[in-house]
Amino acid sequence: MISYSYLKCKDLAQAYDLLDKEEQVYPLAGGTDLLVGMRGGKFTAKLVVDIKELAELKILEENDQGIVIGAAVTLNEIATFKPILDHALVLAEGAHSVGSYPIRNRATLAGNICNASPAADTAAPLFTLNAIVKITGSKGKRTVPINEFFIGPGKNALHKGELVESVLIPRPYPKGAGTYMKASRTGSVDLATVGVAIQRWDDQVQVAVGAVAATPVRAISVEKAINENGEKDFAKAASLARNDISPITDLRGSREYRYHMAEVLIRRGIEKVMEV
Amino acid sequence: MAELKTVGTSVQRKDAIEKVTGSAQFIEDRYMGPMLYAKMKKSTVAHGIIKKIDLKKAQAHPGVKAILTGKDYPNKIGLYLIDRDFLAVEKVRYWGEPVAVVAAVTEKAAAEAVELIEVEYEELPGVFDPRESMKPNAPVIHEDLGNYEIVPIFYPKPGTNIANHFKLRKGDIDKGFAEADLVIEKEYYVPQMQHVPIETHKAAVQWGHDGKLTVWSTAQSPNVVRQLLAKSFDIPMHKIRVISSYIGGGFGCKAGASVEGLVIPLAKMFPGYIVRIIFNREEDMQGTFTRQALFSKLKTGVRKDGRITALQYEMIWDGGAYTEYGVNIVRAAGYSSTGAYDIPNVKTDSYCVYTNNSIGGPVRGFGMCEMQWGIERQIEEIAKQLDMDPLEVRMINGMKKGSTTAAGQVVQDVDYHKCLKTVADQIGWGKKEGKYRGKGIAGLVKCPAQPSNAASSAIIRINEDGTAHVMIGATEMGQGMLTAISQIASEALNIPVDKIDIKVPDTDFTPYEWQSVGSRITYTCGTSVKRAAEDALGQIYLIASDLLETPQEDLTFDGKKVYSTKDPGIKATIREIADSCKKCTGEGIAGPIIGRGSFVPTNMTNLDPETGQGNPGLFYCFGATGVEVEVDPETGVIKILQLAAAIDAGQAVNPQLCISQLHGGTIMGLSTALYEEVKFDKGIMLNRNFTDYKISSIDNTPHIDSFIIETPETNGPYGARGIGEQPMIAVAPAVANAVCDALGIEFNTFPLTPERVWKAIKDSK
Repeated sequence: MISYSYLKCKDLAQAYDLLDKEEQVYPLAGGTDLLVGMRGGKFTAKLVVDIKELAELKILEENDQGIVIGAAVTLNEIATFKPILDHALVLAEGAHSVGSYPIRNRATLAGNICNASPAADTAAPLFTLNAIVKITGSKGKRTVPINEFFIGPGKNALHKGELVESVLIPRPYPKGAGTYMKASRTGSVDLATVGVAIQRWDDQVQVAVGAVAATPVRAISVEKAINENGEKDFAKAASLARNDISPITDLRGSREYRYHMAEVLIRRGIEKVMEV
Repeated sequence: MAELKTVGTSVQRKDAIEKVTGSAQFIEDRYMGPMLYAKMKKSTVAHGIIKKIDLKKAQAHPGVKAILTGKDYPNKIGLYLIDRDFLAVEKVRYWGEPVAVVAAVTEKAAAEAVELIEVEYEELPGVFDPRESMKPNAPVIHEDLGNYEIVPIFYPKPGTNIANHFKLRKGDIDKGFAEADLVIEKEYYVPQMQHVPIETHKAAVQWGHDGKLTVWSTAQSPNVVRQLLAKSFDIPMHKIRVISSYIGGGFGCKAGASVEGLVIPLAKMFPGYIVRIIFNREEDMQGTFTRQALFSKLKTGVRKDGRITALQYEMIWDGGAYTEYGVNIVRAAGYSSTGAYDIPNVKTDSYCVYTNNSIGGPVRGFGMCEMQWGIERQIEEIAKQLDMDPLEVRMINGMKKGSTTAAGQVVQDVDYHKCLKTVADQIGWGKKEGKYRGKGIAGLVKCPAQPSNAASSAIIRINEDGTAHVMIGATEMGQGMLTAISQIASEALNIPVDKIDIKVPDTDFTPYEWQSVGSRITYTCGTSVKRAAEDALGQIYLIASDLLETPQEDLTFDGKKVYSTKDPGIKATIREIADSCKKCTGEGIAGPIIGRGSFVPTNMTNLDPETGQGNPGLFYCFGATGVEVEVDPETGVIKILQLAAAIDAGQAVNPQLCISQLHGGTIMGLSTALYEEVKFDKGIMLNRNFTDYKISSIDNTPHIDSFIIETPETNGPYGARGIGEQPMIAVAPAVANAVCDALGIEFNTFPLTPERVWKAIKDSK
């Protein structure tokens, strides 16, 4: 049975001030991971700081830098935001594949990456878009590229007193198609057994994979084969993913199946974005 | 049969408005009085001796009122075999078994106190596979098995872990195999699953200052709860009142009694207080009945023409730590062991075996999904080896009117072939649609598994204005019982269904019903209600005859008035008759009108202990499922292209509700076919939440073509029989048969998860 204090913040400064000063304090945006984790004993929160209605975190806009996704923007908002559908479909697909519709009405992209699950469905897409995480805190602002934001399972790059303010999909946008492909046990309302994001950048591709290592990872070997060595046999290129990932066996799938599915989904994704 | 007015129409659900407006009351919605909240301390070992329980810290925790352990109340409970402790006494037999229960002023205080209880165990070797557990040197889980009370239709083997050995011998098995041209032997396995009702198990209990015990429960069967509690706690029945609110789904897990007894001794310590326990999802997954896993071996003898001549069936069931209810599943599977087929020579041994896994118990299908998985897969193998159409093998051997079951019971009112043909036609049987696509069919039969004298009863009160109250002891858990039963009352009384009120049961006021299980209520409770209605109608005619001075045989009732068929001018309204009727002189005639009806089966018998022969079935409901799949050979993902279900309802009382049952059962079956499996590691249930125990959701549920077949059940009310469980039974084998057709790969177990299918494809190369 959990017991904690709850405070709804008036502004961002109050939020990071509390995060800095208090112990066992967690920010709540959507709460879909936080509350479940608190109930299950993963997080022992004394104070929950609600940031979900702060105007500065509700920003979802396109500006001269790119697409800005505020920390309190929900996955359903992201999955239907026209600039994202136009320029970053891979992210819309990833966001759409999280949980169920009601979950996506609350869950946020910032929460999805802060939870730092290796299986986070929005993470692999962000890797392929070279997204930038904008962090704010009592000591000021800083930015971290998405591939440096994930440190390990459940561990992110935030320091005490910091929170994610927004995620930027920077310009220039990728030229070419992108797609997110997910293997799961039921194909619906389920966590990824393997999640693969493929983004075409003109004649190059970027490939990222979730649920196959301690963090989401770029399939560098696959990218190199195609982008640098001009590999046209995508099955052969996809098979190189084995060098980039190190999956484990758990309740959702075996290590062996994950290796196999990463390869299959990468090949299919590349074929799709390359319009083979 | 006269034309039906209400039965056979899709009247609106009786509980529709209450449920869509959220005003329907479930246990947690009710304020009952001053409350105490209970929480369980659970064992952290699967098999072990309790060396010490230290309650000191927990007792000192603020808000704690009382803590009880098994020593404080060593009462046992059980429906068929009284083997189950409410709280572990001296030893624990499964991981998560309650060892203490705390009552506190808040749920939080109770939960905190639970953490402060310290229990020391001496761990014993556990057994987690029933095949191992049957062996002579296996650790014995119930040393006292020989001393347990048991209904004498079960055959435990004291000194072993075998809680029941059901034997069936029909015909001459050696002769049957001698006549066969082909003998096939295969092994099958069905894992544990969970029911996952939307509402978990809950109970609230009050011990009144007058010694009256009131129990609010999610129980499917309040009368059985009353009976079991009366026995376990030695309380006379009139001092126990059990109220079942609306129940958020049962599927068998709320049959019998379970959680109620955990809080009764606490309630006794605090008269006037309500002591409530609510299982959270993890507790519900791990601490209530699971479907018993089944290891089976089938040996089938068949002639070249496809006729099955012999079946030898060995079933080893994982009964889990307590088998109070499970022993009967093992028996039911045993006496039904030929499935929907007429096989002349049968030898079946069905064993219920204790293990240190979670408690096995009833789940929709009551052993039929597990047992008929083997039968329906084996038929495919027969067809393959004889190079015959599997549908034809089913047609050749399928039961028809006059066939005998494994137990030797003659079946009537059967059109299994029509069920098979219906789904076959629907899915375009015989047409191969392409590579990696396949079609599969499976059949099913099920009778209610109930004692031969399981009874029902009903009371109908006719109000002064001619409206009526129907009082019964069946429960409403979403299946639509209230509506179907009202329709039967309406039909028999000739009163519109909207003039009939019906409520969920309260044992102080509603008459006896054995249990709302086994797809039996439409038949058993329906028959009682029909009889009660006829009794009330008889009184209406009797009074009218006196009032109108007309012989009863000349009178007829049109729902509003009774009039003479010879002179329609001679008439009396139902109001005049029902309102304590008096003559024009002012002299009273009779009333108020109270109809009563009861039912106890007269067509069932005990079974011979050596041969299992007899009449175990109240009625037999047949059906079939047809599936078309497409398999992704790279990922192992199965896509359901077509799904068709046909069930012989006899007479659909409410076609829309029947279709809902067909949909619900088919989805549940599909969910088990593709996803569901409880995973244990040495008795520890690993996937006890919805993150890791996956069930179908709406967006992976395909379109289902549902067909209600109507071969009237001679003794059922208006020809109806129950269909609640049946739509689930054939789905898993039908899917596996279709996948086998698509890939040419056999599966002897399910769920057919993408990974399992992928691995099978890989291994076949």
